[in-house]
Amino acid sequence: MEIFHNLVVGFGVAVTPINLLFALIGCLLGTLIGVLPGIGPVATIAMLLPITFNLSPVGALIMLAGIYYGAQYGGSTTAILVNIPGEASSVVTCLDGYQMARQGRAGPALATAAIGSFFAGCVATVIIAVAAPPLAEVALKFGPSEYFSLMVFGLIAATVLAHGSLIKAIAMVIWGLLFGLVGTDVNSGVLRFTFGIPELSDGIGFVIVAMGMFGTAEIVANLEMKEHREIFTSKVGHLWPTKQDFKDAWASVLRGTALGSALGILPGGGALLASFGAYSLEKKVSKHPEKFGKGAIEGVAAPESANNAGAQTSFIPMLTLGIPSNAVMALMIGALMIQGIAPGPQVMNEKPELFWGLIASMWVGNLMLVILNLPLIGMWVKLLTVPYRYLFPSILVFMAIGVYSLSNNAFDVLIMGVFGVVGYICAKLECEPAPMILGFILGPLMEENLRRAMLLSRGDPTVFFTKPISAGFMIASIILLIAVALPAIRKKREEVFVEEG
Amino acid sequence: MKIKSQKDFWSGLMFIGSGLFFALWAMEFYQMGTAVRMGPAYFPTVLGFLLVVLGGIVLFQSVVAEPDGDAAVHTPFNIIDLVIALAIYAILIVLSQETGFSSDWALLGGTLIVSLLTVFFRPDAKPLVLVTAATVAYGYLMKPLGLVIATAALVSISAAGGHEFNWKEVTILFVILILFSVFVFVKGLTLPFPIWPEYFS
Repeated sequence: MEIFHNLVVGFGVAVTPINLLFALIGCLLGTLIGVLPGIGPVATIAMLLPITFNLSPVGALIMLAGIYYGAQYGGSTTAILVNIPGEASSVVTCLDGYQMARQGRAGPALATAAIGSFFAGCVATVIIAVAAPPLAEVALKFGPSEYFSLMVFGLIAATVLAHGSLIKAIAMVIWGLLFGLVGTDVNSGVLRFTFGIPELSDGIGFVIVAMGMFGTAEIVANLEMKEHREIFTSKVGHLWPTKQDFKDAWASVLRGTALGSALGILPGGGALLASFGAYSLEKKVSKHPEKFGKGAIEGVAAPESANNAGAQTSFIPMLTLGIPSNAVMALMIGALMIQGIAPGPQVMNEKPELFWGLIASMWVGNLMLVILNLPLIGMWVKLLTVPYRYLFPSILVFMAIGVYSLSNNAFDVLIMGVFGVVGYICAKLECEPAPMILGFILGPLMEENLRRAMLLSRGDPTVFFTKPISAGFMIASIILLIAVALPAIRKKREEVFVEEG
Repeated sequence: MKIKSQKDFWSGLMFIGSGLFFALWAMEFYQMGTAVRMGPAYFPTVLGFLLVVLGGIVLFQSVVAEPDGDAAVHTPFNIIDLVIALAIYAILIVLSQETGFSSDWALLGGTLIVSLLTVFFRPDAKPLVLVTAATVAYGYLMKPLGLVIATAALVSISAAGGHEFNWKEVTILFVILILFSVFVFVKGLTLPFPIWPEYFS
């Protein structure tokens, strides 16, 4: 019963006053940015990354993790009350949640979302605790060829699961890989693509790119839209769902949790995909599909459970393999590296208090969120009435401070501006930034492992297909690509993402 | 031949252009090596040409495939504006190198010129240009002028990129943000930012 021993260690770390405080700060901040449309977990975590310099590694991770899953709770509030997704992963919650609010059932909708999320969070925590150790065990045996194939698989899966054109998504990944190569080549010491600019010799900071592509680009996009908000503040009323609601929703919560947990583990997965997937699944299995979009409680319960489950299980590849499955996890890896910890399967053995403390804190954080959020909904709603013209300059100030403080360098801020423009243009051309960010992080890692694998195999590229684990990843990637190219599946994939239309 | 999807057409060009750039630059300046011992040029060259191929497919699709949804590109500026902006920066940076000024001033000056041009000729592009300009100004004003002035500049410039601009509101906003930055980030978290201009302290 090693797992219990481990969890005891974890809770010992997670419930110390200082770590409880970090979890609380993370959850509150997460809810805050979740409620506010136009600022997401990626930009927030990127902003706070420099601050975590001064914290303990456990405290830093606990706080940052709290922001990610806290945002899933907060996002639903805005979706239900204002019909604007506070978070991208709450897009589908708007469909039925807002309809429930219009029927005067905002309270039950909010409560269902919170309870579903809490249930999903508990299950996902257990899944991480059970699944992570054996996975890390396997990962310790990985050589360079296995790692390279795994990353290929991860990137392909990320593009398949992203929406929009598949070819453009793959092109964005490669673009990201190329940008990731800027800086000093570790093998030869040659400065690549630095154009004589000394600041580029360490490469372009990932945080800076993420803030530009997700932060400033998003602010600009929001400013170009006209503001119109209709808020159901007075109608929150009673919170508790009726018996009938519970009867309708419990199965959806279970399905949402299961699907979300599974999709979260996949590279490129996480909260966003989980909520979309769960909503379309509910619609398929429901006996009354016509009720969806008209205030069906299942349409709130399933995606909200799924996005929280997905947000948490997406920690599994990061913790066990050291490979990020989405942009938030990439930032977590950044936070670990700032603390001098190389992410990977060895973390669990070398830093058990970090690993298990983080897992235990997730459960604690979820509990906090349910307890805090239901009574505080009134306060969050008030925040929604703050006009955007106050919010966006404030967000910009925090972003600029965050980037500037990375190395006290104006050049970093300039690069953020450049990537803001790139992100804006990409959005206009319907090229997804998320795959590019993943490629950007994995670029140097992939090259490193490719070189080592080729060196070990004496230049024989078949090595990726002759080693069993590596071959498995490669074949899985090829199958994925072929599957998406098939017209029938391609249509399905598009359907999942146009549910909102 | 008619372009059916503007979005795909320009993305295709963008991918081909940057792919070619990375691949050719790597081949020109870095060692290729062999498959066994890869040089610094190997990986970027392969990726660069892969990007060219993918960009080519996207470009091809843009002229043959019937697009679904809105395929026009809606930007408040066109490609010529973009080239003009880049040219302004390039000219100023070359000038600053010739005259021995720091290129920081060239970047600040270029940002100022592009912002003014935007305000007068492309008012719809204000959100993008002024938000970007605000952050750039913040970065480059921090060292010579300190946090207070940099923050005030960032808030005022970016607010000018929004829909409504009201001096009173903006002033209150940046005073609050300056106080917050000073107390939380500089005093609390001890970030080494100068608060006032250099020659004051």
